[in-house]
Amino acid sequence: MSTIAETTHRRLTHRRMRIDGWRWGGRIFLVFMLLYTALPMIWMLITSIKSGFAAMQFPPQWWPDQPTLDSYQKLLDPQNSVGQDFLRFFWNSLFVSTATTILSVIVAVPAAYAFSRFTFPGRNFLFFAVLLRNMFPAVIFLVPLFILMRAVGLVNTHGSLVLTYLTFGLPLAIWLLKGFYDNIPVQLEQAARIDGATRFQAFLLIVMPLSAPGIIATAIYSFIGAWNEYIYAYTFLSKNEQLTLPVGIQRFFSENTTDFPGLMAASFMMSVPVVVLFLVLQRYFVRALTEGAVKH
Amino acid sequence: MTILTGKAEAHPRLQSDRSGVLRKIWEHRADYAYVLPSIAVMLIVIAYPIYYTIELSFFNTPPGLQLRDKIFIGLDNYTAILKSPVFWKVTSNTLIWTVASTLIAFVLGFACALALHGEFVGRGILRAILIIPWVISAVAASYIWKWIYHSDFGIIGAVLVGLGWADRPPNFIDSVGTVLPSLIVVNIWREFPFAMIMMMAGLQTVPDQLLRAAKVDGANAWQRFWHVTFPHLRNVSTVTILLLAVANFNSFIIPWIMTGGGPSNASHIWITHIYELAFGRQRWGVASAYSVLLFLILMALGYFYVRALSGNERKDGSA
Repeated sequence: MSTIAETTHRRLTHRRMRIDGWRWGGRIFLVFMLLYTALPMIWMLITSIKSGFAAMQFPPQWWPDQPTLDSYQKLLDPQNSVGQDFLRFFWNSLFVSTATTILSVIVAVPAAYAFSRFTFPGRNFLFFAVLLRNMFPAVIFLVPLFILMRAVGLVNTHGSLVLTYLTFGLPLAIWLLKGFYDNIPVQLEQAARIDGATRFQAFLLIVMPLSAPGIIATAIYSFIGAWNEYIYAYTFLSKNEQLTLPVGIQRFFSENTTDFPGLMAASFMMSVPVVVLFLVLQRYFVRALTEGAVKH
Repeated sequence: MTILTGKAEAHPRLQSDRSGVLRKIWEHRADYAYVLPSIAVMLIVIAYPIYYTIELSFFNTPPGLQLRDKIFIGLDNYTAILKSPVFWKVTSNTLIWTVASTLIAFVLGFACALALHGEFVGRGILRAILIIPWVISAVAASYIWKWIYHSDFGIIGAVLVGLGWADRPPNFIDSVGTVLPSLIVVNIWREFPFAMIMMMAGLQTVPDQLLRAAKVDGANAWQRFWHVTFPHLRNVSTVTILLLAVANFNSFIIPWIMTGGGPSNASHIWITHIYELAFGRQRWGVASAYSVLLFLILMALGYFYVRALSGNERKDGSA
């Protein structure tokens, strides 16, 4: 008897050790990934509070002798020419991203609803086209869109950006929203129809409120996509007053590449709005993103 | 394609006669009102550009986009591409870039998802921090890493010198041998969080009962992962890998901003090469031919993507 108890005991400890081994392996791996993820961002922040002189030293100062917020002050100072540019880029980005988001959602909501609920001839083909669009890079569309924008006089306007941002905003919005509508029971609308609502009323009064989280998630996705977009803005805009942040920052520092603290400060400021937006609403966002791929 | 129709398809009856189709379209005219605005937008900004790209690919186009002077040259643009040595260099770069980025980002993201599965203190914060690189702009990421790799003041070089592993800071992104791997490290930094999110969501769908049953049957952690968890995640994995592969294949910002494709084409991938051909060297016709080839490759990938997605839905039906 005692031997059996002993072996059982030994086997159990052995198993526990193995499980602990996996768990500790996992923890160590996470620490490694945390360092990989966070160190570059920490280095960005540390550099951004150095003076231009302190940044240009070898070996680098791990922590600046005299931390300074000069770079941030310069970027945010409307009296300073650097600040003027930066703030203008910021507003341009905000305007273009907001306009793109609003337009994408307005156009995508009914389309996604129709793809989720109705069966009309050509529905499969159209949805397939929507799905497929997510695979094509902006570069493929760039030359013809550039020609098109030039022909209708939209080059060097924010309108050209809003319109082209729909090329990626719209298909994605339709895809995300369809996932949400698929999960709202049809019975709710049917009940409303029995109570005398028209189909459109049922959509507006029953389905729309229920899909609010999906619409929020879609809006964030569109916003982040537009905020970070680079190629179209880089190609379509040439005047300093119109540039959005990603291109503006580049133009700005290509003339003065030595100002790495300024560049890091600008990179940080450009990241803050989207990161905050994402962290606050990440629950909706992650759900919307993964719904289509993992649903069973 | 039937997969995409979902459950609402009530009459799978074949409508072969033309009037029947027209009648059906007429019957559903109200439905089209919902999709019409998006179709209009997509026709203008997607269908028309695709058509125009195909057309341009058969023409010799003068610089400066004087398109009235373009000359039809048949397939010459395509043969020129295939004959060019740069094409093969760029293609091999693209393959290395896409495959390495995709696989490593997927494995790291999946491992993170596994390690983050289950409750522990600080899990939420950890997850949030790990996602951030994916949210910030690729332009910002490029500049951050450019600074980290800087050949005079970069921090990695400084650490290597400090440890005595190098005499002087290496030129990570200025030398032909190291530029591509260095950029891949940056790209993975930005993309593994996406794989992590997808796989975390996938892990939540693995039934607990199955894992517990396996545990009762004496399966160890590795066996449980390999025989229960992993097969259950096959579809999510396929979709995630395909989406990553397409995103990496289509990368532009990181190589463009960090190196502009250099030194001597060592970090040019298809997309950056196309961009340079078009807007740098103004060879619109050749760039268009490249785009058409790219388009065909992506269509093939898209076919697998839709098949993978439909794999999920077929499971729906049988469950």
